[in-house]
Amino acid sequence: MATATQPQKKKRGGIIGEFKNPERRTAYLMVLPTLLIILTIAFFPILYAVVLSMTSSTVTGIGSFAGVSNYVAMFQNPAFIEGLYNTVVFTVISVFFEFIIGLAIALAINRAFRGRGLVRAAVLVPWAFPTVISAVMWRLMFQDQVGVINYVANALGVISQPILSDRTLLLISAIGVDVWKTTPFMALLLLAGLQTIPGEVYEAAKVDGASVVQRFFSITMPLLKPALLVALLFRTLESYRVFDLFWAMSNRELESLSTFVYTGVRISQLQFAQGNAASVFIFLTAFLLALVFIKGFGMQTSTED
Amino acid sequence: MRRARRVGTGRAVGRRGFGAVSRRDFLRIGGVSLAGAALLGTAACGGGGGGPQTADDGSIVVVFSAAPDDSGSLTSLIEQFNEDRAGEIQIDYRQQPTDTGAYFDQLRTQFQAGGGDIALIGGDVIWPAQFAANGWISDLSDLFTEDMRSGFIEGPIESNTYDGSVFGVPWFTDAGVLHYRQDLLDDAGISEPPATWTELKEMASQIQEEAGTEWGYVFQGGNYEGGTVNGLEFINSFGGAVLNEDDVTQVTIDSPESVAGLEMARSMVDDEVSQQAVSTYTEEESEAAFLNGNAVFCRNWPYMYGLVGDPEASQIETEQVGVSALPAAEDGESVSGLGGWNFYVNAAVPQETQDAAWEFIQFMTDPEQQKFRALEGGFLPTLTDLYDDPEILDEVPVIALGGEALQRTVPRPVSPVYSDMSLQMAEQFNAVLNGNASPEEAITTLQENLQGIADQAPE
Amino acid sequence: MAGATARGGEGSRSFNMILFYVFLIGFVLVSIAPLIWIFKMSIVTRADLFASPAATLTAAPIAGSYETIFGDASFRRALLNSTIIAGVTTVICLFFGSLAAYSIARLRFSFKSSVMTLILAISFFPGVAIIAPLFLQFSAFGIIDTYVSVIIANTVFALPLTVWLLVAFFKELPKDLEEAAKIDGATTIQAFQKVIVPLAAPGVFTCAILTFIHAWNEFLFANTFLFTPATQPVTVVIPNFATTYTTDYGAQAAAAVVVTVPLVILVLIFQRRIVSGLTAGAVKG
Repeated sequence: MATATQPQKKKRGGIIGEFKNPERRTAYLMVLPTLLIILTIAFFPILYAVVLSMTSSTVTGIGSFAGVSNYVAMFQNPAFIEGLYNTVVFTVISVFFEFIIGLAIALAINRAFRGRGLVRAAVLVPWAFPTVISAVMWRLMFQDQVGVINYVANALGVISQPILSDRTLLLISAIGVDVWKTTPFMALLLLAGLQTIPGEVYEAAKVDGASVVQRFFSITMPLLKPALLVALLFRTLESYRVFDLFWAMSNRELESLSTFVYTGVRISQLQFAQGNAASVFIFLTAFLLALVFIKGFGMQTSTED
Repeated sequence: MRRARRVGTGRAVGRRGFGAVSRRDFLRIGGVSLAGAALLGTAACGGGGGGPQTADDGSIVVVFSAAPDDSGSLTSLIEQFNEDRAGEIQIDYRQQPTDTGAYFDQLRTQFQAGGGDIALIGGDVIWPAQFAANGWISDLSDLFTEDMRSGFIEGPIESNTYDGSVFGVPWFTDAGVLHYRQDLLDDAGISEPPATWTELKEMASQIQEEAGTEWGYVFQGGNYEGGTVNGLEFINSFGGAVLNEDDVTQVTIDSPESVAGLEMARSMVDDEVSQQAVSTYTEEESEAAFLNGNAVFCRNWPYMYGLVGDPEASQIETEQVGVSALPAAEDGESVSGLGGWNFYVNAAVPQETQDAAWEFIQFMTDPEQQKFRALEGGFLPTLTDLYDDPEILDEVPVIALGGEALQRTVPRPVSPVYSDMSLQMAEQFNAVLNGNASPEEAITTLQENLQGIADQAPE
Repeated sequence: MAGATARGGEGSRSFNMILFYVFLIGFVLVSIAPLIWIFKMSIVTRADLFASPAATLTAAPIAGSYETIFGDASFRRALLNSTIIAGVTTVICLFFGSLAAYSIARLRFSFKSSVMTLILAISFFPGVAIIAPLFLQFSAFGIIDTYVSVIIANTVFALPLTVWLLVAFFKELPKDLEEAAKIDGATTIQAFQKVIVPLAAPGVFTCAILTFIHAWNEFLFANTFLFTPATQPVTVVIPNFATTYTTDYGAQAAAAVVVTVPLVILVLIFQRRIVSGLTAGAVKG
């Protein structure tokens, strides 16, 4: 994953030699608790999930070996396909808009102006707001009797039926809410990236007669790329595991991969094993996504100097 | 415990109140020593072994779990019982979440860990089959004799009967009823509430046209448990049934009757008697539409009647509203979905404790105590005789109005895999109301999926 | 860009400025409008809540919803639960995270990049993938429906952020101070305790705020592992803020306001720190 920018030279004597050096020994001891927590609470359970997904287990008891039948059943389950479809559509569209709008905002506010702190605080508010609670709040605004948005959309003739009664409208709404919540955050990340680009670069380009558009594509974008990729990767993976928003805003109507898992392992009595199969699926695909970003786009995640 | 804000509205209408935390809870949740608990952890030990749990005075302690007691009527009865039986039996009331799913989780976790110490459970009518199939609750057939059962309303008894045995005793009941706007019916020259669905639609359309009322009929069409109840009311009233009465492993939903039931539900939307939004509605939205004066007819639980006239919740007055049985199919019978709560006994606790729990069940379901709860908290009694009690009829008007409808309830399918069936039904019923599936398609899908679920039921 | 393009006479420049501020105000409004709306919902009567059109007000604002939630022991309990869960998670994360971060930022050892990769990999990890196994394991250990279960799960997913941020902060600290301490005979641990920790306090503090917000807002694990009012945090309680039959929208809105206000205040006061913390990792690349 993270590619070390400077490969460490292996000390002779291997691991044992490492522990003879007091500084190194302390170093290992200091990272050990964190590593242990991560390994036991995150990576061990995923192995357990793999095992469970290949049995006919229920939440009340471990079942017998079932091979890949749970995976087969999962791919034949319309609810899973719907969850996968919604998750992919949601991820692609919401990240796309967050990126475009976020970049526009970052470019616009990349300068000194009065009230900067206020703007920063205001954009942090949606971000700090608990997702599940904002989802409940938005649901109220989409509702057909009390909902201001449903009211306006209806008055304008944009919708032919109540937002909450239609899954497509629900999905569009979920994307809208996510864009509202995370665009400001995206803008902040990109703004921080923009501020590392020295002004002289632009001045020089301007002297050379480069247009605004040329400067954007030949200077801003390449120099912004590292910050941009990190922001995109995190947002993509976060959208990919969307749960709170769908669960609370659609009152369990809108399926995502995560809600499918949750329903399987916590609500249903019979789909526990299938829920585990979906867990493994999400895990593998999420890592695949991360890999694409890191290898495919040449992203660096290492913090090595 | 504070009194329910909305008196006489049925059960648990106040927000769930969680009072003081017991010492045991405190110890249980207080152990924040992270790593130790996580890595070493001690398995919770069940309370099954050994003799019964006793108090200092030698009386047998019966831990009794139930949803919050907002009206205070349960707590006062427990106090009375404990006083009467001092030295013999002590009831220890342990409050549970109002949300039935959360309460269910809580119990299931305890049963899996070996039974836990809860001896007596006041629980939802849809649970007994699953609990019984796992051997978690005791068969009460011998104690709760056929003779005793005969005094109870039929629906709740049916919901407690699994595999020929009775596993629960009905505590209080609930039933879907039709609330209607008396004033609007009067204005339209209609003297009687509708007896059939078709009549309901005709009346509703007429009033919608003449009086401009937004909703003709509002009910719960959302994709959730309440949607299942409403869908089943349509299907059952046309004579459809989910499971074979004699063999609950046989799904029989695929019938012209079931299709007719869902067609009727769908036609509510098609004929604009109900708005499309009904497919997102739970009790809350239905209530709001009706109480704000925007609906002619509303299917809801009797609790809603208690809200009518409350200036904070309602824009309509008591005299504007009537209550009757839900409509039926032509030459069919009216069917109300059954709600309510029962008593179950944990099979893992010692026999002496189970016997003590049974004493308390008898006390609580006695006419006197049921009447007390009806008067104090608006809980619908489970004994048929009480529906003729003049004092109850006088003090709890909805019982007088609902009359027989409250006793003519049909339980949801009694199956150990009911909760999975319900997820499927809610989804398909909702799809019909949304127009994403035709009634025939939904029924065909359900027949296949429900049979698949039934086949996975534990033996 | 907008600034760079502003060329021409005085008039066009000030016009551009006006345009810029209009844009800013619009942006800020869109960000906070829903919060204002929910505040409105929390202070109207039930009848007005369901009034149509939604903007009408027929009665004076009331504090009824706030009275309801604060009179409700389960909500007060949920606030306490949230505070404990988020607080303990923060403390644990900072403790383990600062040890690991110091080691990575300052000390030399092999496998450093593998360790960092492993820790960061957790940020890509879909939490939902492990709820089933954790549910079984926590049940077996008897810690299901306890604070411990959620704190453990939250800690794992908050640690990468903590480590990432602290590595960035520690690296910015001047190196000579520790070296001076070491020359004076201090061990690595002592140098960390006596020199780094006090110096890094502002960074650690930023990190604490972010971890706290993360844990305070967490929903999935809490919803999975906790099912009684004794343990549930506000994120679980508020969406289900209901009676047996119905939801009290006014109370729900009021509760949402109550749990958000502390966060908003935190954000207002520390916005500069939070932004620098959030962007520390991203711009370092």
